Amino acid sequence: MARPDPLTKLIEQLQRLPGIGAKSAQRLAFHVLKTPREEVERLADAMREVKDRVTYCSVCSNITDTDPCYYCTHPGRDARVICVVEEPENVAAIEKTRDFHGLYHVLMGALSPLHGVGPDDLKIKGLLTRVGNGGVEEVILATNPNVEGEATAIYLAKLLKPLGVRVTRIAMGVPVGSDLEYADEFTMHKAMEGRREV
Amino acid sequence: MPVYTSDALILRTYKLGEADRIVVFLTRDRGKKRGVAKGARRARSRFIGTLEPLTRAGVAYYERELRDLVRINYVEPQSSPLAAIGRVHSDAAALGHSAYFAELIDEWAPEAHADERLYRLGASVIDALAGGAPVPRLARYFEFWLLRLQGVYPQLSSCPGCGGAFDGGAVMPPRDSHYLCRRCVPAGGGTTLSIDALRFLRSAAASAPEALESVSLDAAAGRELETAHRRLIQVHLEKELKSARVLREINHGLHGSYGSHGSA
Repeated sequence: MARPDPLTKLIEQLQRLPGIGAKSAQRLAFHVLKTPREEVERLADAMREVKDRVTYCSVCSNITDTDPCYYCTHPGRDARVICVVEEPENVAAIEKTRDFHGLYHVLMGALSPLHGVGPDDLKIKGLLTRVGNGGVEEVILATNPNVEGEATAIYLAKLLKPLGVRVTRIAMGVPVGSDLEYADEFTMHKAMEGRREV
Repeated sequence: MPVYTSDALILRTYKLGEADRIVVFLTRDRGKKRGVAKGARRARSRFIGTLEPLTRAGVAYYERELRDLVRINYVEPQSSPLAAIGRVHSDAAALGHSAYFAELIDEWAPEAHADERLYRLGASVIDALAGGAPVPRLARYFEFWLLRLQGVYPQLSSCPGCGGAFDGGAVMPPRDSHYLCRRCVPAGGGTTLSIDALRFLRSAAASAPEALESVSLDAAAGRELETAHRRLIQVHLEKELKSARVLREINHGLHGSYGSHGSA
């Protein structure tokens, strides 16, 4: 039986989403078909709106629906401290702690030689401009604790230190609630290196 | 489903679905494989810290009939570029070189066809990197041996033009991929190798990578070798490696031009 064209088109489009294969796309398309019209319209509107209204902050490159973003304009945030992260979703992870009250800078990735991502592909110039403009006392490098994130942190530290700011790196070590028995050599090394007095 | 365990080098990974990764790895005894590491992107995955490019590890995997992708059961790291961070290298380009080495091996390793010499070269280089070997020298050493193992490194014993010795240095003529002595080289320049660069290659031919600390290579000779090797790699792969370009950009960003650390 030939499948109606609009349904085929929907399956093709859904299949382009990350993590969605042919079977999942077909299941989702049939789910949309069975769903009440208003619900489907709400989904379509939400998708349209996210493309129309969500943009990148011209200061910190975080995602926002107002430019500059909430964090960059909030009077209660400490503009002397900037936390550098790889992706916008990392901001949410740090905000969950409710311990950090400074500003953010999103690099939109990390140095990745294997994937051809170099310094020119990241939002590094914007960070250097922000720090160079003055008023920043500390830059916290919160890139991922892997080779790419570490290379990015080392690269940024070399560029930032001559600007006269304190450059710090987030701590690395054993996850809370885990078991030392299963910690790998590198994690244990970092945990010992970053130990503190109690 | 037969289970295999093997010493392997992790070469690269790709995201797969919500939480998995496809891992490309070079085994010592069964060549290059591609496999799925289930849940590798989860925060508490057993694969955390084990899948960085150029990690040397014991890998256990299942092979399924008529499937190209194997299923990875566990990865037990033995040597990792992560171990070099902070301890022996605090240079972004030095860390980027682990990706460069991994990309070179990936390009040259045949699928599912054992190449133990290539495996041993990769393993010795990661050990040397983790042990603090000087990175520019290690890079030139690796390129030299990789091309040599593939049988495409130009002859160094004597000039193929006249049979004489390279006693005044060597030149790789434009559009050629062999070295000629200065007497035989046609007018029109080419990539030159000084006596110092040739001396380094002869030492590299007889040394393990851990011994590179005592093999000298000044910045000028390092640049000559880098240029010659880049040309040879491009001729044989018919493309430039992504990691080589990124390493050049990193060096440019840090030093404004070619720095003392060398690029790829």
